[in-house]
Amino acid sequence: MESEKAKILPFYVLIDVSASMSGRKLDEANQIMPQVVDALAQAPILADKVRFCVIDFGSDAQVRLPLCDVLDEHSSLPPLTIRGATSYAAAFRVLRSEIEINVKQLKADGYLVHRPAVFFISDGEPTDPEHEWRTAFGELTGFATYPNFVPCGVDQANPKVLASLIHPATGPKQMQMYLMEQGQNPADAIAAIAEILISSMLASGQSMAQGSSGMILPAKQDLPAGISAHSSDDFV
Amino acid sequence: MATPETTPVQPGTEAKWQGYVEPFVVGDPGRAAAGVVPLPDETAWDRKDTVLDAFALRDGRTRLVEVRAASVRGLAHRAYGRVRQDEYGFRRTADGRYLVICVADGVSSGELSHKAAMLVTRWGTKWLTGLLDRTEPADLQWGQFVRGVATQIEKYGRKLLRGREDIDAEKCDLRDVAHKLATTVLYAVVDLRAVDGAHTAHVVTVGDTSAWVLREGGRWEPQEAVKNDGAEVFSASVHALPLPPATDPVPVRTTIRAGEALVLMTDGIGDPLGQGTGPVGRFLADVWARPPASGVEFAAQIGFARKSFDDDRTVVAVWPVSQR
Repeated sequence: MESEKAKILPFYVLIDVSASMSGRKLDEANQIMPQVVDALAQAPILADKVRFCVIDFGSDAQVRLPLCDVLDEHSSLPPLTIRGATSYAAAFRVLRSEIEINVKQLKADGYLVHRPAVFFISDGEPTDPEHEWRTAFGELTGFATYPNFVPCGVDQANPKVLASLIHPATGPKQMQMYLMEQGQNPADAIAAIAEILISSMLASGQSMAQGSSGMILPAKQDLPAGISAHSSDDFV
Repeated sequence: MATPETTPVQPGTEAKWQGYVEPFVVGDPGRAAAGVVPLPDETAWDRKDTVLDAFALRDGRTRLVEVRAASVRGLAHRAYGRVRQDEYGFRRTADGRYLVICVADGVSSGELSHKAAMLVTRWGTKWLTGLLDRTEPADLQWGQFVRGVATQIEKYGRKLLRGREDIDAEKCDLRDVAHKLATTVLYAVVDLRAVDGAHTAHVVTVGDTSAWVLREGGRWEPQEAVKNDGAEVFSASVHALPLPPATDPVPVRTTIRAGEALVLMTDGIGDPLGQGTGPVGRFLADVWARPPASGVEFAAQIGFARKSFDDDRTVVAVWPVSQR
């Protein structure tokens, strides 16, 4: 076992690939990781610490890119493909299992692991029974290495459902939800969410350099057009 | 404005020269080592990127110890255009008996933390040296001393904050002052008079600045608990002055002899060193088996590249000289 204490900032991107995502929405979703890679190539301090994992979910959830250094020459970005329904429960279960395995491994390798950050992007309502995905979400947020969870909704996503996924929902480190504004093009909204993810990643990196271990989300006035930010009590 | 009257000259083609500078690297250097474009901190033009020292202390013509010190701005601070917040200081007592050393790490989130680090290393070291004129190191009232240093940081902080709009310098809480400037600190008192070849050192720490003895054979011996051992997820919070420690700091007493070194460091180097059993521990044990020839060499060693380690790094090391 290494005795060193390198710091790691793990990001998980969860992308809805249910049938309704086909077309331009999926094209934009496929552009998220290449844009992340471009941004990291320009930010060497951050690139040395950030690890990314991509999970897509439809009828089931699959790890498309296991947690890795995306600038590493050995890592490749597989394209996302459409798969049926919208199981939030499957997404939360796979995410929890990945976080648990990844954090355990990173710590065994001697790393100091910052709390994982999750961007959850969906264009519709969950198709699995409510008690099922609520239970799965409870298990995801109820363990020691629970992530900071940022739900992002476009198109037909249900704001009330997504708002209930913001975690932590209260307190000094509360997260936010990002929603496509009425009348926007959902594909453009996905591109805008990618922008938010990248600026959040860059800001979190800078804040690490200034001694904070928290995740930083962009201020409301800095959001791209067509997207609005909400906290958990905006929808009741 | 005057214009130069001479024409440009060519250097001689036959001149002999040698030497080169090559950065130290331990394992994967990461992308930051080569990729960072260093920027100045435009709020503090006088703050140096790197400072260093190398000297021997003597009793008459007898060399007692070799001292090397350097403080190097981290890659992250270079990339984001922020000052080096680490600092070190040292001073010998008037009677020549003791060497007082201080190593401090200004808390990153405080915009004036480097000022706190400068104060504890300069003023604090001077005060401690004065106390040693009339007190044995074993009898020092460390709690009182540390509280005194904390009070001084608070006073200085309020003075620096005077006239600002975002804070009431006189009435604000101590926590608000600490939010603007705070520092970890480590003080060491090294007895320059050896007993049976062994120099006694007393070390007191507030926060995660750490003291080690590099024993013969390259074994790293920590002089207190190693940070973040057993934590679930990493936390960046540290104990730092001017906030008073919950309990009076307990001094650690150790001894060093020729062939060994007392190594005092900030977490910028303490973190990659870990428990001293990894590649960084091996590297530093190799290059510090003896005092490096110069301060420049010492600073270059401290600035080694290793992926994701980009904090400010500061080390003061003392090597006793064999009297045989």
